[in-house]
Amino acid sequence: MKGNNGLKLFLVFALIAAMTYSCFAGSLFGLVEIPGVNDIVPGIDINGGIDAWLYAITEDGRKPTQDELDSAKSIIEVRLDKAGILDRNVTTDVSTGRIVVQIPWAPGETDYDPDKTLAMIGETALLTFQEVDENLLDENGNPLPTGKIVLEGTDVVNATPQQYVQTGEIVVQLELSEKGREAFAEATGRLIGQRIAIFMDDNFIQAPVVRERIADGNAVITIHRESLEEELQEAKALADKIRAGALPFSMEAKQVNAISPLLGKGALDVTIRASIVAFLLICLFMILYYRLPGLIASIALFMLAIMTLNCISWLGITLTLPGLAGVVLSIGMGVDANVIIFERIKEELRSGKTIKAAIDLGFKRAFSAIFDGNMTTVIVAVILWRFGTGPMISFALTLIIGVILSFFTALTLTRIMLQSVSDLDIARKTWLYGVKEV
Amino acid sequence: MVDLMGKSKYCFMMSAFILIACAVGLIVNGVVLDIQFQGGTIMQIEMPDEDFDTELAADIVKSAIGKTATVNRSSTFNAEDEDDRIYLMVLNIASDETLTDDERMAVMDALRKEFNIAENANTYVNSVEPFISEQFRMNAVKAIAISSVLIVLYVWLRFKSMHGLSAGVFAVLALLHDVVAMFTVYVIFRIPLNESFVAAMLTIIGYSINDTIVIYDRIRENMKLMPKATYRELVNKSVLQSLTRSINTSITTLIAVLTLLVFSVIYNIQSIREFTMPLVVGIISGVYSTLFIASPLYMMWQERKFRKNAAKRAAG
Repeated sequence: MKGNNGLKLFLVFALIAAMTYSCFAGSLFGLVEIPGVNDIVPGIDINGGIDAWLYAITEDGRKPTQDELDSAKSIIEVRLDKAGILDRNVTTDVSTGRIVVQIPWAPGETDYDPDKTLAMIGETALLTFQEVDENLLDENGNPLPTGKIVLEGTDVVNATPQQYVQTGEIVVQLELSEKGREAFAEATGRLIGQRIAIFMDDNFIQAPVVRERIADGNAVITIHRESLEEELQEAKALADKIRAGALPFSMEAKQVNAISPLLGKGALDVTIRASIVAFLLICLFMILYYRLPGLIASIALFMLAIMTLNCISWLGITLTLPGLAGVVLSIGMGVDANVIIFERIKEELRSGKTIKAAIDLGFKRAFSAIFDGNMTTVIVAVILWRFGTGPMISFALTLIIGVILSFFTALTLTRIMLQSVSDLDIARKTWLYGVKEV
Repeated sequence: MVDLMGKSKYCFMMSAFILIACAVGLIVNGVVLDIQFQGGTIMQIEMPDEDFDTELAADIVKSAIGKTATVNRSSTFNAEDEDDRIYLMVLNIASDETLTDDERMAVMDALRKEFNIAENANTYVNSVEPFISEQFRMNAVKAIAISSVLIVLYVWLRFKSMHGLSAGVFAVLALLHDVVAMFTVYVIFRIPLNESFVAAMLTIIGYSINDTIVIYDRIRENMKLMPKATYRELVNKSVLQSLTRSINTSITTLIAVLTLLVFSVIYNIQSIREFTMPLVVGIISGVYSTLFIASPLYMMWQERKFRKNAAKRAAG
């Protein structure tokens, strides 16, 4: 029996050690890469950056369609590329007609001006088809703007990605307006064999070669890539961008949250410190009040904290300040399960049961109360997750994870540790459980 | 044994006092909404020191874009140099005058001309148009409504089989008590309501109901063990038995939240402060309402029912 308990204890501690190591090192002893705390995605409020909702400024106030939103999104992407802002998240939401732009601050970036960035990405896009001067190329061999404009964005009525049934070729089909048709017929007649470059603002998009004179206003750009998948993506992206040139609206940020990295870092430092202090105080309280079980609960709580951080990292949940508060809160609440169990154990001991019997009964009788408490907290956290925004979603998720894990740690880890330790001779004193000898 | 239940009239007085404070606060102060819930713009700009003319800044904003700003001083923790603080100028612009990107740039440019603002000064911007804040408000109301329904449903299912519906009603009353207590703190101290408040409120609703369930379960268990006891003795004993657990659990949760609150107040971390303050109030109110509202109400209800039945039997 004793050897068995020793093994159980050893396994529990080995598990805790391994989880802790992988949490902070980001790998398991260098053998397997496991995401750890360093891989957790920090929210804008911690890392600094911009979180904005852009709305279309249309003349009649109508909501943009999904196609229009996709086009507007592609404008934003092109402009952010140009500005060197590669780490970003741009999503469209057609039901509310908005585009959500999230740009975390990139380390080393010094030119942080959220208002300028937002104004830049929201402007109406200027799409042009320009003649190419083969002597005017950038370092990548792409044409530079020549100012000799063939078509403007408003000359394009529609652009759609298509697949030819017979050849299987992927193309983008352009439909030109009357004015565009004439201009394009003239230019394509003159420029056969040469390239025509497409620019958004001054950013180069693509330069297809003119094969023949196009007089009917239906131009086709053939896409060539490695795989069909890539061609389809490329065609969709190109069509979005070309359509963007015909977009009748600009975008304006109506909801902005922007914070400098240093302000966010200060808040994070303070919150981490507060979390550690809170954790130590809780452990201190548990050990002083419950003695041996309190110590074991503290170890289980430590495991709870580590596992919560690991889960946040593995699931790729964005951690915000309220999210971190959620971790701390779930540790404070996670104690509850332990307290319920220990109080039960104490009662059983007072009524004269042996330590072993008291522990078994304590766990058995406490189960339903623990389950109830976790249920209600999870219910409200799920609702908060569905209805909350940014920082609060993070809080809801960390709370859900923390509560579920606390259930697990209290009922398994605390139990295994307590049962194993209580079998040792030195742990036979009921004083250790906070009860006077009976 | 301590007669906790005999003291319940003081507790009802205390709760009545909270209700009155809430009502008075509402009449005098009204409800203050955060810009998240009503729209508006907040800009925080790092300043070299604390010494700047806030009225001058307000005038500059007025002449630059023609909108009215309230300007205040603030400071926060400096992660790069702990002995130093970051001093901030805080501009508040009301909901009907929410600034656009261009206006914010104009404000910055105008302020730069007059004040010694560093080239790469730290800034914080939060700007919400009223129509978006309306969506936020709607979402908050939905979240509260749905959680309330679900929690009541949960309590109903849980209590129907175990304690009878009356007990469920008292449990929900205790929850309302907690929500009112949290709300009162906001109203009295004029703290703007935002999503943090809603999140804190929902958290407390989920957390506090649990306390009540544990005590009611204990009452039910003791009913079998003490068939001859009066309701008063029964409830009193059950509360005392669960007291350590209720208080200890609240203490550890309180340690967690209070530590966060203290740090956020010292270092002026607004988002954490806004969030933990109502949690602290809610946790204290939660344990209090379970012990001194839900349990005595339950006891009084059962006693009344018992007397009625006894009277009926005597009459019959």
